[in-house]
Amino acid sequence: MNQLTRRGLLGLAGTAGIAGLSACAGTGTSGSSDKAGGASNTIEFWSNHPGSSKPVEQQIIAAFQKENPGLTVKLVDAGKNYEEVAQKFNASLAGGQLPDVVVVSDVTWFNFALNKQLSKLDDLLGTAKVDTGDYVDALYNDYTYAGGHFALPYARSTPLFYYNKELWAKAGLEDRGPKDWAEFKEWSTALKAAVGSGKFAMELADGSNYLDWYFQNLAWDFGGAYSKEWQPTFSDPNTIKAGQFLQDLTKAGVIKYNATPEADFSAGLAGCILQSTGSLGGITKDAKFEFGTAFLPGTDNCPTGGAGVGVPANISDARKANAVKFAEFLTNPQNTVTFTQATGYMPVRKSAVELPEEKTFLEKNPNSKTAIDQLAHTRSQDNARVLLPGGGARIGKALDQIAQGQDVATVFKALDAESQQVFESQIKPKL
Amino acid sequence: MQSTTSGTGLAVGERSGPPEPVGPPPRRSSGRTWEWSLAGLLLAPNLILLIVFTYRPLLDNIRLSFTDWNISAPVANPVGFSNYIEWFGREDTRKVLSNTLIFTVATVGISMGLGLALAMLLDQRLRGRNIVRSVVFAPFVISGAAVGVAFQFVFDPSFGLVRDLLTRIGVAVPDFYQRPGWALFMVTFTYIWKTLGYSFVIYLAALQGRRADLDEAAEIDGASPWAHFRKVLLPQLRPTTFFLSITVLLSSVQVFDIINVMTRGGPVGNGTMTLVYQVYRETFVNLRAGYGATVATVMFLILLVVTIVQVRVMDRPQT
Repeated sequence: MNQLTRRGLLGLAGTAGIAGLSACAGTGTSGSSDKAGGASNTIEFWSNHPGSSKPVEQQIIAAFQKENPGLTVKLVDAGKNYEEVAQKFNASLAGGQLPDVVVVSDVTWFNFALNKQLSKLDDLLGTAKVDTGDYVDALYNDYTYAGGHFALPYARSTPLFYYNKELWAKAGLEDRGPKDWAEFKEWSTALKAAVGSGKFAMELADGSNYLDWYFQNLAWDFGGAYSKEWQPTFSDPNTIKAGQFLQDLTKAGVIKYNATPEADFSAGLAGCILQSTGSLGGITKDAKFEFGTAFLPGTDNCPTGGAGVGVPANISDARKANAVKFAEFLTNPQNTVTFTQATGYMPVRKSAVELPEEKTFLEKNPNSKTAIDQLAHTRSQDNARVLLPGGGARIGKALDQIAQGQDVATVFKALDAESQQVFESQIKPKL
Repeated sequence: MQSTTSGTGLAVGERSGPPEPVGPPPRRSSGRTWEWSLAGLLLAPNLILLIVFTYRPLLDNIRLSFTDWNISAPVANPVGFSNYIEWFGREDTRKVLSNTLIFTVATVGISMGLGLALAMLLDQRLRGRNIVRSVVFAPFVISGAAVGVAFQFVFDPSFGLVRDLLTRIGVAVPDFYQRPGWALFMVTFTYIWKTLGYSFVIYLAALQGRRADLDEAAEIDGASPWAHFRKVLLPQLRPTTFFLSITVLLSSVQVFDIINVMTRGGPVGNGTMTLVYQVYRETFVNLRAGYGATVATVMFLILLVVTIVQVRVMDRPQT
């Protein structure tokens, strides 16, 4: 018999290690068991605490438990961002221990709805007598699919145009944001001169950090889009014009890309940025100069974003009823005010802005008011970004390529083909 | 020197083993059964764990690689070899493979080479060597995510330490986050910094357990430092080198946290995309768990071949 040598043993250990490594990819599709896990009087709320909101979420939960003594809410740290929450939820779909309420982003909710893993909320909301007409229409209707709603808006945001007022004055510009991107281009020479060497007139997040979200505004301003319904339109001449515009400003040294442009802006290294309303709190705290916020350039072309809360499909009816009760409480006028004042996100209820404490807050914080005023000028995002799996990452990659000088038409043509292929293989058969 | 008697006082040629058994042969079968039972009993716990948590998922993963499973969907439809055909035909496959190769070769080669050099240096009787040993090993016990966050600041193009140092000597600062080549350099450097301590401490242990008489013999024979290293030290470190080459290779190929924190596989989509990160990207971002399983299976096969080659090479008799 052959002796098992030390090398042989190491080889075996290595093979086991390799096998273990490969086994990490995925293990099965057996989950989604009916009425999975959980006690009916405990509501498990999976959140990434958007905008560092854990203390506020705990505060709202305490108020809910006080109002509903028979119910307990367990707040679970489900990840550091929306993608991680979605990964944990996907794991629970296979494992069977489902939450009662889960945070789903503008990008992650649809795949769950398409695969029947989120409850259609309309009947549940009707039974609970929730006034859905009080939700901001644009935000509530973002979660519409197959004639129903699959989430309630919670931590909702839009991009804002943040600008350094001192730099604006130095460049001799009016104290406002640009009307459109053409005007920004006119301003860029003066801004570049005013900002000085080693700094940039504008910084944008790169393709790995949601440039695809911000660029939508630019594409729309040029009359283009990522898609019309399910038809990708990256090769539309107007979308290509927008891409060319971005590339030209980059080549001219006006725009720089960064993983965290808000940090450079707060440090005075960038004259202006496009950034989420959710960053307002942090920038207000960190910036040592006067800054302003404005609508995104253009007219009625600001994309919505952020997250809502959904209820899994495969939990008991009793759990669903409790989940909807909590989701409504979490997003009621009073609590949306509490939440948004602490984080910088936007109130998701129409009546919230009429509450006295919100009026006082907005008077004292005009930058927060910009986001609310801009809400009337928002537009739902294109399917190619938010509804196609991997849409954001795919578009982000293409925009990185454009920023680095690759031919815009070629990059967008390839993106069109790739998006169409994803639609044909992953979405169309299920529609 | 020859002797006519052994240490036991027996004359050479006399048998010194146990006396020949007399009578009927012992019943070996019951003894063997007992040995096999004991072996089975001792092996069973680990074997069960390996089967449940490693080999069953591995087989499941291979099965899934032939499906179109969307990770949120309750069912997966068979698609034959189409995932494999797509992977081999896709434009980004070459980039992912070359990133993985560059990252792995650089991290394995440099961390083992530097680890050995540091181990040899700190094996000397130097003042304060214990403190330096601790400092070299410390990064290994820090979590990869924390190291990634810290090195984001080191390489930050606006505030980073690297920028500060390069600016002082008048060198232009590369944009580590926007240029694929520099981004790959950044994550490779960070990973080497984190794992250097592991190679170092294993080599140090091996050096301290080496045969002193061989060092003395080399010294008496007047061997040069290079000849001493090559002919005396390296052969003794061969098993350690083999062990490290496998473990460092496997951990390098598995790197995820640092890439996820620092670049998310970018810039330009796949600037720092490795095989493991592609598994993650396809499974959890593009939601194509079936395709992700295909990448994982390909990676398994590649590593299996590499490991077999490593075992064969190390098993070759030394000349």
